[in-house]
Amino acid sequence: MTFIRQFVLGLTLGLSLAASARADETVPAPYDPLESVNRATFALNDVIDTIIINPLVAVWNGVLPQPVRQGVSNVFDNLDDIYAGLNHVLQGRGSQAGTDFGRVIVNTTAGVGGIFDVGTKLGLKKSYGDFGQTLGVWGFSTGPYVVLPLLGPSTLRETAGRGARIVTDARNLLPTNTYYALAGTEYLATRADAKANEGLIAASSLDRYVFVRNLYWQRRFNLVKEGRNSGAGSTQP
Amino acid sequence: MSKNFRTFALALFGLAFLAMAPSARADTVQPDELVRRLASEVTNAVRNDPELQNPNSPKIADIVGRLVVPRFDFLRITQFAMGRNWAKATPQEQKEIVEQFSRLLTRTYSNAIASLKELDVEVKSAKANSNANDVTVKTQMIGRPQPVAIDYSLINSAGGWKVYDVTVEGISLIAAYRDEFGSLVSSSGVSGLIDVLKKKNGE
Repeated sequence: MTFIRQFVLGLTLGLSLAASARADETVPAPYDPLESVNRATFALNDVIDTIIINPLVAVWNGVLPQPVRQGVSNVFDNLDDIYAGLNHVLQGRGSQAGTDFGRVIVNTTAGVGGIFDVGTKLGLKKSYGDFGQTLGVWGFSTGPYVVLPLLGPSTLRETAGRGARIVTDARNLLPTNTYYALAGTEYLATRADAKANEGLIAASSLDRYVFVRNLYWQRRFNLVKEGRNSGAGSTQP
Repeated sequence: MSKNFRTFALALFGLAFLAMAPSARADTVQPDELVRRLASEVTNAVRNDPELQNPNSPKIADIVGRLVVPRFDFLRITQFAMGRNWAKATPQEQKEIVEQFSRLLTRTYSNAIASLKELDVEVKSAKANSNANDVTVKTQMIGRPQPVAIDYSLINSAGGWKVYDVTVEGISLIAAYRDEFGSLVSSSGVSGLIDVLKKKNGE
């Protein structure tokens, strides 16, 4: 029966090789030389979540009805669209930037300061864009994976991108108290939005740190790939 | 001599069977049609039965077991998630991993179908991957403030077209598990992975 065993083994090996080839051609393995520090920060974030963020999210969800919460998210999304548009310009994606700025104009006017997402209803599809992605499109590598306190998964490159945004944000012109109130509200709205998914991830993952790292890594890889494929120098539209 | 012959005949029969298999299933449903049907069956079931709209209803497991599970190829899903570690596991371990992993997936993702009450799945396109028997069906889930792109990878085998990966906004679910499985196997071996799976399933 050696022949059969070899045949079966060959088949299994063949399948497993096919499996690895498939994954490799898409997303590279996460680069995480700082894993022990990152795991510590990840655990710290969980503690902060349990004692501070989760109760705040519960209050947020309890006090504000869903349409209001959606409206708040939309206002911040509208600001994000300006930022996405600027980055799409930097990435050489003119028509995408046109859609982004079109959304901002429609949502700020007809959507009453961004409370309602009229743009999507008119077929102006929201697309994500940030400076970390722009750096990636320009050819900067991601660098190591890092977990930031409070903010969670990031990479060296995305952290640089985030820093650039904070420095250049027009909200810096606001009074300090208003600035922090806005930043806090935005943070809470984002976290409240993500809570449902966080629960699912916790339930379905075996090592949540590795799972979250992979999801984040795939997401960032896809954003940069999308930016490169639809840029001015590419053959694809 | 006779032993060798029997082995040879058996292998030949196996090969012949593999070669014949595609023609035997030529009349099955196309993958995009399958996804469309699956989506409409499940959404209709959820809309017609208020009990299924409650994520904690025990009835959800029934409907998922009846409509969804038969359309997923858990063996292949597990093989993809294991990658090159699949060969390191004994047949018994492989069986156990498939069983535990499919339990974990069905148990944790089933409750999401309750939200299909207000969502619609729109099949956009189907595209062959490496060959005509490996197809990705692109869909969009609409009904949320922003549409969500969900792609189903299906493979055609003896039991017809079956899903072996789900990609949400370009993020492959099985790729995420691959990382987890890889890290667990390298830290505590295949048996360690099985232990964690069992523990997660409450065994």
